[in-house]
Amino acid sequence: MNAIKQKDLILYSGLIILGLAAPYLFSAFKVQLTYLCVLIVLAMTWNLQGGEMGYNTFGNILFYGLGMYLTASVQVGMFFPLAEWTESGGEKTFVHTTAQYFQGIGVGLLVSAIIPAIIAGAIGYAILGLRGHYFAICTLGLGIAAGEIAGGIEIIGAGQGFTTPPFPAEIVDTEARGKFFYFLSFALLIGTFVFVKYIYGSRFRLILNAIRDNEDKAEAMGIQTMKYKIVGWMVSAFFCGLAGGIMGGLIGYIDSTDVAFDGREMGVFMVLMAILGGKGTLWGPVIGATLFHFFKEGLWTLILGWQYVALGVLIVVIVIYFPEGLMGWLREKYPEKFGEVIDEKDRKAQVELK
Amino acid sequence: MNKLTKLFITFVSAITLTLASISSSFAKVEGDYIVLGSAISLTGKYSSNGVHTQNGYNMAVDRINKMGGVEVQGKKYKFEIIYYDDESNPKRAAQLAERLIKQDGVHYMLGPYSSGLTKAIAPVTEKYKIPMVEANGASRSLFTKGYKYLFAVLSPANQYLEVAIDLAVEKNGGKGVRIAQAFEQDAFSQDVRLGILDAAKRTGSEIIIDDKLPKELNDMAATLAKVKATKPDVLVVSGHTKGALTAIRQISEMKVDVPMLAMTHCDAAKLSKQHGKKSEYALCASQWHKNLSYKDKFFGTGKKYDADFKKEFGYAPPYQSAESSAALLVFKDAFERANSFDRDAVRDALKTTEMQTFYGNIKFGPGGQNTAKPMILFQVRCKGDDCENKVVAPTKWASDKFYHPIPKWSERS
Repeated sequence: MNAIKQKDLILYSGLIILGLAAPYLFSAFKVQLTYLCVLIVLAMTWNLQGGEMGYNTFGNILFYGLGMYLTASVQVGMFFPLAEWTESGGEKTFVHTTAQYFQGIGVGLLVSAIIPAIIAGAIGYAILGLRGHYFAICTLGLGIAAGEIAGGIEIIGAGQGFTTPPFPAEIVDTEARGKFFYFLSFALLIGTFVFVKYIYGSRFRLILNAIRDNEDKAEAMGIQTMKYKIVGWMVSAFFCGLAGGIMGGLIGYIDSTDVAFDGREMGVFMVLMAILGGKGTLWGPVIGATLFHFFKEGLWTLILGWQYVALGVLIVVIVIYFPEGLMGWLREKYPEKFGEVIDEKDRKAQVELK
Repeated sequence: MNKLTKLFITFVSAITLTLASISSSFAKVEGDYIVLGSAISLTGKYSSNGVHTQNGYNMAVDRINKMGGVEVQGKKYKFEIIYYDDESNPKRAAQLAERLIKQDGVHYMLGPYSSGLTKAIAPVTEKYKIPMVEANGASRSLFTKGYKYLFAVLSPANQYLEVAIDLAVEKNGGKGVRIAQAFEQDAFSQDVRLGILDAAKRTGSEIIIDDKLPKELNDMAATLAKVKATKPDVLVVSGHTKGALTAIRQISEMKVDVPMLAMTHCDAAKLSKQHGKKSEYALCASQWHKNLSYKDKFFGTGKKYDADFKKEFGYAPPYQSAESSAALLVFKDAFERANSFDRDAVRDALKTTEMQTFYGNIKFGPGGQNTAKPMILFQVRCKGDDCENKVVAPTKWASDKFYHPIPKWSERS
């Protein structure tokens, strides 16, 4: 037992050091690395529902988009009239001072974590009673509806989009912005990972698994499934909101359907990444997101115009050859690596019986 | 160590090495080439206009390179463009701009297609102090952010259809008109809407229908049903290429009678070709028309550009292509006047641009917008089954009279 822990320790400290050094090692790739952190967070939180609880949600993008709008709105609204900021063609320009910028984004991120979690609780109570396809379709609708609604609210820019506050001009270092957002997203990634790992070691995960495997039986065992489903979703919403808030600041421009409530891209990607890596595992989403991101960044520009075809092929390949994801595939090939002991005698006995 | 771990470590180190080696190559000027970067919509909802833009850029690059290139400090350079596909998505566009600048080492950018994407890229180019000449981001809010490295060769979006309202009021004997309008939910179309609101206020006109259309629109029957019921004097529609196509398709299907129909993106949608007589009498805002009498030494006149473009790409150039070609002429001129590759020197040269191209006069205002070129309006007119776009306003360029009101569908053959 101790030996395994030591191995883990080396792995984790190695990864953290790599993460901290990455923006200096690959200075030109800071933005892509930031994306990678956010993608991993999205895949991991999706995995809590889709993988552990068996509720295939397309609605997590709702919290991501909410987080984005909330962070930007708070960051602007704390110091300037929001309506005048987003008004198109407004002649006034407002500039955040360095202190205002960081205070704003700090408070903004706090709000963007809490409010989506509360909203997840509220709508979760209403829709987590649905199961299977009905739940999936319902959450799909949530994301689309949110995009359309946000596109009609004037105070957050409506169809015009919302330009988030530019990074303070007083900081002359052009690398500072990239580093700031990278470390912010890396911190979020660590926070999410630690929390999810904690869940993996707790009774909470077993309950989620019980819900996935047979919700009625779980209920019959005296588990208040609704309560746990809602809490699980609130956890996802909390981290998705933060991820959205960071992305909004990084991208610098929020569009209702293409950036914030981007179900067609981010919403699908988070599902795809989790499945690619292997849902229902701790490392699956991390590996899936990393591979996916490399694939996307490396290959997509080489096949200009055909990248979505390639993505389609990728989805087909994943579904056919790796239905359980990479982790599931590895687990089948090397079960002993996953702590599964196969009794050879027993296996042979079973074969003979047949 | 077992096989799997070894494999994993090899994989990780291979990636690490590749990334580390990529990050420090490339430069803005390689040998005889000045490298420009551009994220363009080759897929997604703006793909058709993205291709028009790309064709415009390519056409100008070929032409300038063939005619001697750009002379800086006595040496001749050629243009080269690195393209990425932004998938019509602002998030992707911002990321690609970063990539062009940081990884490909691009020091001069050409704009993407559409206002929304330009809005997403401008903060990035601004941050790295990269001069960007853009030809397809018309939203007014681009020019009120105090950007110092953004230059647009086109007129701002709010000017697109203002003239149409003035025309309608004029035809109505100077009295205000009743306007029905429907705009796509995107940065550009919403700016066109603001222009109409201003014009309505100025002329005392009344807006009776003010609808929003979803992105990727392919249905506006609800708006048209309202138009049928309320009988406005003018119907204004803007929603890029799809908006123009949808409007004409459904107006003719539902036989909606309205005295005046004003739109954007008719030529990009090849309306007169695709819908023929159904699109007749539609009034369209355009940045450019081949019949205008501007000229330059690279492309000659608009008519010559039109003919050359047709030969090269097999279709008549919409204004999106023309303005994109003009962007490169502006860059060439700026490089030569700056006589240097220093970004700030190029920027200062861009700022003092004052030139005529086949596309129109170009002079940048304080916000970076082109202030020297008016918008024009053309009307689709047909002879038999052969439809053409005829310039009807402003009067200086008009080749035909503005036909008003549009005959009822029952009277059209």
